[in-house]
Amino acid sequence: MVITLLKESIHFAWQSLVGNKLRTFLSLIGITIGIFLIITVFTVVDSLERNIRDSVQSLGENVVFVMKWPWTFGPDYPWWKYMNRPQPQYFEMTDIKRKTASAEAVAFRIGVRKTIKQKNNVVENAIVAGCSYEYGTIKNFDLEEGRYFTEVEADGGYKVAILGKSIAEGLFPNNEPPIGKIIKIAGYNTKVIGVFKREGESMLGNTMDNQVLIPFNYIRLLMDVKSENYEPFIAVKAKPGVTNAQLKDELTGVMRGIRRLKPAVEDDFALNETNLLSKNFDSLFDLVGIAGAIIGGFSILVGGFGIANIMFVSVRERTNIIGIQKSLGAKNYFILAQFLFESVFLSLIGGIIGLLMIFLLSLFASSAMDMQISLTQSNVVLGLTISIIIGIISGFIPAYGASQMDPVEAIRSN
Amino acid sequence: MAIVKRPRIISIICIALVLGCLVSFFYLFAPSIKKLGGLIPAVLGLIITLQFVSVIGLWHMKRWGVQLFLISYFIRFITFYLLGILSTYQSVAAVFMTFYIIVFLVHYRKMDINL
Repeated sequence: MVITLLKESIHFAWQSLVGNKLRTFLSLIGITIGIFLIITVFTVVDSLERNIRDSVQSLGENVVFVMKWPWTFGPDYPWWKYMNRPQPQYFEMTDIKRKTASAEAVAFRIGVRKTIKQKNNVVENAIVAGCSYEYGTIKNFDLEEGRYFTEVEADGGYKVAILGKSIAEGLFPNNEPPIGKIIKIAGYNTKVIGVFKREGESMLGNTMDNQVLIPFNYIRLLMDVKSENYEPFIAVKAKPGVTNAQLKDELTGVMRGIRRLKPAVEDDFALNETNLLSKNFDSLFDLVGIAGAIIGGFSILVGGFGIANIMFVSVRERTNIIGIQKSLGAKNYFILAQFLFESVFLSLIGGIIGLLMIFLLSLFASSAMDMQISLTQSNVVLGLTISIIIGIISGFIPAYGASQMDPVEAIRSN
Repeated sequence: MAIVKRPRIISIICIALVLGCLVSFFYLFAPSIKKLGGLIPAVLGLIITLQFVSVIGLWHMKRWGVQLFLISYFIRFITFYLLGILSTYQSVAAVFMTFYIIVFLVHYRKMDINL
């Protein structure tokens, strides 16, 4: 019984859709645009959120960064005070390491832009980052080949380097294995000991693809590490079971002690956390999501009106058929299901076309932007559900009207 | 099939419920709802659909409208309770819904039994 009803409904719906191609197209387009808009916004927001989450994770989740500038500012932040703050120094890192009980690992990192050469291949303006040994414990590095520095190499300032993927491709364009090769960083011969996996574009701008990592005691040769012109930081990773708040409290005391700040004097350093960044992005994405929901919601609503309109026309066109069906014994629910199915079918096709468009767009965007934009399963389910809901809501009134028709009057009408 | 005259109070409630469905429809896409999980917006969408269809039944003074409204009301309450999103707004809505149900039950006997 149900299968017969389903088969007949599909048949009727298909006949109606194919018989009026232009009308079908025009009524589908509203739902297609609505689903396209709303799911595109959700897909982009989800992809950006995922990108940020990955970037934050690669920075280390339970890590506090001691820096000159805070990552987040209020509306009236006193930038003139921050300007006069000193940059973190290497000796402060060693002091923190000695004095902070809740720290598992402490590392110093400073970066500078230099030209790197390998025979005739040159990469200009590459970021050369010098770091202390424990940076490898704090940041989640993913090496494609080779290894990280040993403690001896880091402390001894050995001339060794780990290349980002883009840098490695620039210096070794013919798929030559870079491990063990000698490159020149600002004129110094340096041995390549590792290559990072490709990370792709990062929302936080912290991709390792265009960086070269060398030991801190080596970068001292390439730059004045005490200069105020660079942006060094000290990264402190909390011990397991220690919260970031506890670590920050202890670090504040330790840093104030190191810098000999009197009780009444304000901190002259910032303690930054990665979750502060992701929280800021969360509110931005919420805003984008709400804007997308309103625009997409209205488009879908308009699309729903279009389908309701088509369904009223469809009922009117088939009034005498309804009359004949009823006079032959068709029940009200049978007529109701027929038309309801037609509107759901129509709406679902519109939704599927919209989702297909997003899928193609995400493939194109992913290849063009070096960032993974993917249509998730939950967004596909949401898109299809919205299509079905709109189909039911917009088709129920015309379908119910058809089911309530008097068979005699319906047959008479022309 | 006798046509039952619809009391004015039910007309007003139906209009209020349709407006409520419209607001809830936009609420479906809210980031806070999306964060609850992949299938939650779909479940809430189903509840809105049930409520809308029940309003059409109520408009036509059909008993299935009241029955469907009660079902949608309980599904909605249980879902919101399980998700832990029973806010003050939901409590106020629950008071109104209870009032609506009382009105519907008062007029239930007058309603048509057929589809």
